[in-house]
Amino acid sequence: MHVMQFQKTMGTRDAAVGAINEVLPVLPVNIRRMVVSLPEHIQGKVEEVRFRQGRPLVLGLPSGDIFLNAAGKPVHLASEAYLVTPDDMERLIQLISSSSLYALEEELRNGFITIPGGHRAGITGKAVLEGGKIRTLKYFSGCNIRISREIPGASSTIIPHIIDQNSGGIYHTVLVSPPLCGKTTMLRDIVRQVSDGIPTLGFSGLTVGLVDERSEIAGCYRGIPQRDVGVRTDVLDGCPKAEGMMMLLRSMGPQVIAADEIGRREDVYALEEVLNAGVKILVTAHGSSPADLSERPALGALIRSNTIERYVTLGRSRGAGTVEDIIDGKSFRSLGVKRC
Amino acid sequence: MLKLVGATMVVAASGFGGMAVAGSYSRRPKELKSLRSALQMLETEISYGATRLPEALSQVARRCDGMVSFLFSRAAAELSSMSGITAGEAWEKSLESYYPGTALKPRDFSVLRNLGASLGISDKEDQIKHLRLAMDQIGLEVSGAEDEAARNVKLWSYLGFLCGIMVVLVLY
Repeated sequence: MHVMQFQKTMGTRDAAVGAINEVLPVLPVNIRRMVVSLPEHIQGKVEEVRFRQGRPLVLGLPSGDIFLNAAGKPVHLASEAYLVTPDDMERLIQLISSSSLYALEEELRNGFITIPGGHRAGITGKAVLEGGKIRTLKYFSGCNIRISREIPGASSTIIPHIIDQNSGGIYHTVLVSPPLCGKTTMLRDIVRQVSDGIPTLGFSGLTVGLVDERSEIAGCYRGIPQRDVGVRTDVLDGCPKAEGMMMLLRSMGPQVIAADEIGRREDVYALEEVLNAGVKILVTAHGSSPADLSERPALGALIRSNTIERYVTLGRSRGAGTVEDIIDGKSFRSLGVKRC
Repeated sequence: MLKLVGATMVVAASGFGGMAVAGSYSRRPKELKSLRSALQMLETEISYGATRLPEALSQVARRCDGMVSFLFSRAAAELSSMSGITAGEAWEKSLESYYPGTALKPRDFSVLRNLGASLGISDKEDQIKHLRLAMDQIGLEVSGAEDEAARNVKLWSYLGFLCGIMVVLVLY
């Protein structure tokens, strides 16, 4: 909830419209025109722009989907909506990839491309296999551009609960959230605050090593963070999480290691190494609750080992970025922070 | 006296005309060669550097000279403007303003144009294939153009003057 309040009080609406402005250059010109002609309050709320070839153009808003007609007016009937043409699709892919699909083979294998500003464009099409593994995608048929927003202060309600006042460090923390609940935005803001330090809480900043595999958290362009991730943060951009965590551990002497979307077996091995080295972890995982995570094949063991000290679950019950609960990792009891 | 001046002007004009034609014959193989080496550089950028296209094009533009540099830098500028055009369109636009100032023939133009249609839209192997194809085609044109140059450069530079002299003799 405080996310919404923050937007109201601090007037971040301009910033939100700014976020969609960052996405405009990758949209084909005709669609750019349609989006720009929307009323500003709608532009500011757009979370997703979805393209499906031959089907209506869809904008994802917090209140639900809307279609656009050819004049850029929001409509509710699919029959009145603008249909995405093959030419739109082709242009979109070229613009997203800056006409460099050859340089994005790894990204295509993962199914998405990160565009300048740290926004993620998911892509579907026909997978080309080689030896049973995906080599690349072709015949692109769908694309979903997710607009990432920087919301300074988004994590202010969480921060007091993950700071360890006695040691001056932080607790091992996992943010648990289904997709589209502001997980990455929250992680970015926690990293920023932990790295900068919080004078009002008497918390001096910590050295944070951030592995940003998808270039989403720091939104790096040519390795330089475009988003504020704090003064004491070292960013390893575009690096696989498991290797990245080990690299940072060996080379940068971090006090906290942060990473997004932990889940694969090798991620968990690397996390164990980090834990053994006495470095605090700050990660996110897809799921709806800690119990959910303990069922997961790779993550389960880590969760059951009781090393994680704080779980923060996020949801959308009061808009994206709602903190549903903060749970103590030892006792699995709620710390009494609900729905804020 | 006036006749003499006129005669000199006729000889000079047709002589220069002939030399201009000869010059375009001798320029074409040079231009084709520098195009080929520029494409070679682009291939290296794409295959080893995995450099993104706008950057790769401007890298190549920086390293080659003259008109070819113009072709690549213009295409890079068009592409980085983020005006919503594709790599093929940016290349085509740049090609159209590059071509008239060169000694290239329509078939050289169509080789370059075909290359533009596949620029940046496929994986690495495919890009390399298209670039190699264009380089091979240009290579063929180079040897043809060199033969042509050897035959025609002398021919045209003499022919111009001789025609001029003939006109003078007939009219004098």
